[in-house]
Amino acid sequence: MSLGFDKLLDARGLNCPMPLVNARKEIGKLDPGQVLKVVATDRGSVADFQGWAKVAKNVELVAQETEVMDGANVYVHYVKRTT
Amino acid sequence: MKEAPDEGVWTAGHLLERLERRDRFFVLDVRNRDEFERFQLEGRSQVPAVNVPYFEMLELGGKDEMVDSIAAYLERDLTDRLPADLPILAVCARGDTSEFVRQALRRLGYAGTNLQGGIKAWGGYYATRAIVETSDLAVYQVVRPARGCLSHVVASAGKAIVIDPLRHLHPYRDLARSKSLTIEKVIDTHGHADHISGGPALAAETGASYHLHPYDAIHPMDLLPATMPYEPIRDGQIFPVGRFDLQALHIPGHTLGLVALRIDDRYLFTGDSIFIRSLARPDLGGKAEVWARLHGRSLRKLLGLPGGMSVLPGHFSSLDEGGDTGRFTASLDDLKQRNDGLLVLQRESDDGFVRYLLESLPKFIPEYVDIKRVNAGLLAPTEEDAATLELGKNVCALSQANVTSGGGKP
Repeated sequence: MSLGFDKLLDARGLNCPMPLVNARKEIGKLDPGQVLKVVATDRGSVADFQGWAKVAKNVELVAQETEVMDGANVYVHYVKRTT
Repeated sequence: MKEAPDEGVWTAGHLLERLERRDRFFVLDVRNRDEFERFQLEGRSQVPAVNVPYFEMLELGGKDEMVDSIAAYLERDLTDRLPADLPILAVCARGDTSEFVRQALRRLGYAGTNLQGGIKAWGGYYATRAIVETSDLAVYQVVRPARGCLSHVVASAGKAIVIDPLRHLHPYRDLARSKSLTIEKVIDTHGHADHISGGPALAAETGASYHLHPYDAIHPMDLLPATMPYEPIRDGQIFPVGRFDLQALHIPGHTLGLVALRIDDRYLFTGDSIFIRSLARPDLGGKAEVWARLHGRSLRKLLGLPGGMSVLPGHFSSLDEGGDTGRFTASLDDLKQRNDGLLVLQRESDDGFVRYLLESLPKFIPEYVDIKRVNAGLLAPTEEDAATLELGKNVCALSQANVTSGGGKP
């Protein structure tokens, strides 16, 4: 499955909290309705993005996927700026 | 607020010292709520803590940068819950996120500190303590404090037997190196359910033989035989170590193949039978009612041993059981006076004791079925999966909530 997105954030190799901290900055630069695709190697990011989307007023977690890239698990988060 | 003293950063070892000394401090745990629910820092008594996931502080603080946002959140929303006069330990999964929290706490004038390596480092921390160390016999207790797991090394004349080695092997390697010991034998008192045994790996690495009772080389639910090589333990079997002998006593109950090991009338390694405050649960093989009866018989057999023997159990439920010395041991006579389950055993009939066991079963942990598979060589987890399986404190003991009339309770 491959979803549409407007901007890609490569957060591979970054540990908690940086994938989420960087995604939050990037989403601030998007227009409402646009989608940010975040690619991370930190397994904890899966639950963290879910929790973050619940408290953030202008963020919707559209989808999450796990892919295998170069033999390692990669966690992909699609986050939409809502307002 | 007045500038608080700089606590620096605490390692897992520093944390253990403070918990054992009963130092007062406060925990700000910034993991997810379900991670926090599943596994928290526990001391000899409860450590006061508040859990706010870091992404909530980051978002609700409203600033771009992590430290700015957390400081803003803490100042606005958490001031009345944070103690001004105690060290505040920031805790996260791996220790990186909590470092930002420490900086925010410091900026606001709190005695903020960080648990280096986070819960992962705490969960993987081991401490080794000598129970006895003389020229002809040494017994070491290797403690994994976060999980409540205990293992033991018996050494004499440069030879050593390791009992119930835990998953990480460095404590045994380090001890063997520093005390110039050759590990000759590795014994698992039973097929463990709560943690992954280091036994087969330690035996393979050192060239030692690996021993297990054959009844525990069959997975009790799958009814499949273990795939790893082992030498079957017989009831009464003698394992020489230097100038001493360890003798196996078959005491089925917690598992069908559980053995205790004794050194003369001095030391009794009880595995998962008698702990310091409680007893092992009989239901982890899925046959609670049948095994409870066996358990009672085996425990009565242990109570018949000389009362001066020092009991060295396979688990603890609270760090407090180690007392001020951090050594989880007590004489059999002492335990007859104060162990909740042994008090019941001594006053109840066999039927009454079975009833007590069955009424005191904690929740069954589904992961334990897989851990038993791993220990029988039926499943080979990755390091990450192994760590996940082992998350949290062991639940091998009976729940103590049902003890209502223990005569010797303090």
